[in-house]
Amino acid sequence: MARLDTMPEPMRSHLAELPCPVFDTRPWVSGPPLSRRRVAIISTAGLHRRDDRPFEGMSGDFRVIPNTCTAKDLVMTHVSTNFDRTGFQQDWNVVFPLDRLRELAYDSTIGSVAKFHYSFMGAADPAVMETAAEKLAGLLTGDQVDAALLVPV
Amino acid sequence: MGALAHYLESRDIPTTQISLIKEHTQKIQPPRALWVPFALGRPLGLPDDPDFQRQVVLAALTLLEAQEGPILEDFPHDIPKKTDTDQDSLEQLACPVSFAGPVTHETETEKLLDTFRQEMAEFRSWYDIGLEKREYSSVIYFPPEAALQVFTDFLSDKPLTLEENLSSFASALRFAAQDLKAIYFESVMFRPDMVLPDEAVFTRWFWQKTAAGAVLKAVKEKCSASDDKALKMTGKMLLVPMGQA
Repeated sequence: MARLDTMPEPMRSHLAELPCPVFDTRPWVSGPPLSRRRVAIISTAGLHRRDDRPFEGMSGDFRVIPNTCTAKDLVMTHVSTNFDRTGFQQDWNVVFPLDRLRELAYDSTIGSVAKFHYSFMGAADPAVMETAAEKLAGLLTGDQVDAALLVPV
Repeated sequence: MGALAHYLESRDIPTTQISLIKEHTQKIQPPRALWVPFALGRPLGLPDDPDFQRQVVLAALTLLEAQEGPILEDFPHDIPKKTDTDQDSLEQLACPVSFAGPVTHETETEKLLDTFRQEMAEFRSWYDIGLEKREYSSVIYFPPEAALQVFTDFLSDKPLTLEENLSSFASALRFAAQDLKAIYFESVMFRPDMVLPDEAVFTRWFWQKTAAGAVLKAVKEKCSASDDKALKMTGKMLLVPMGQA
């Protein structure tokens, strides 16, 4: 369970004491109904194509995952040993629900699935992700994405 | 995750997110978040359950239709726990190799590595069967022979060979450790005598019952004692989970 109060030590204290950024602003962007939205997945699970660069260090950069990617193409090189990987090893959708998005687009619950998806490695300091997020926003805009589904690990 | 949502929404990209640690999301206050009560590593909850995963994805996406925020909603469904009886099969599989045998070992490390070799030989059959059936594996750089080699060499003080596109021996050991765990889990996945264990049972079994887990703990100790900064950090933080050392 990802409930802090039921987590065993020392993991509970480690997570409880992780510094979280505090922001002065509350950005809010509206958009069309879900049935007309174009959705991209942004993961922080340290995912990438099998032949792409592994995640190393804490640079806060991201990897591009094309919409044509399949379960056999996608691997995980997140540095942390403190979360379960067996769910992903059974079924990539438990971390990266691209098949679910495809189904939602097929039955018109969402408008479409983005051409590209992205993954960061979540152990990086959030502050160092800001520069990468700016680049990413440009890429998402270019792909006409108006719904980013952010999935942690 | 919440910070990333904040940065993207500030640049005109509407975001919604899954939250695994509610306390973090409450502090960061991203625009839209769905808290789920699932284990770390399983943000969609249940593997191989498309209906359940669809509910989670839809609940998160539906937050995009809210008129104002920030919003932090709870996903209303949890995952039914497997019973202990369901998972007894894995406990019985623990360390199939006896430490007693005809080989005379000179050191505890040699004894451990010999047990590891025999254990890997048994698990490898099921890993290979799974690979053939599924046509892929989560293993990235170190399939069984290579994983066996790198840890045996490291613990035997032999020089390591660096795989192409890995930047350091510290990285190689980290990736080999992840691959070794994947080899064991994928072996369990394809055994006909196994009920697939939940994540907590598998973790406990791997770290407390297998020779592979003992090998990784020995590698951790050796790395932690190293003068090499990257090896030391890898040993301290990146090979064995908190609470398992």
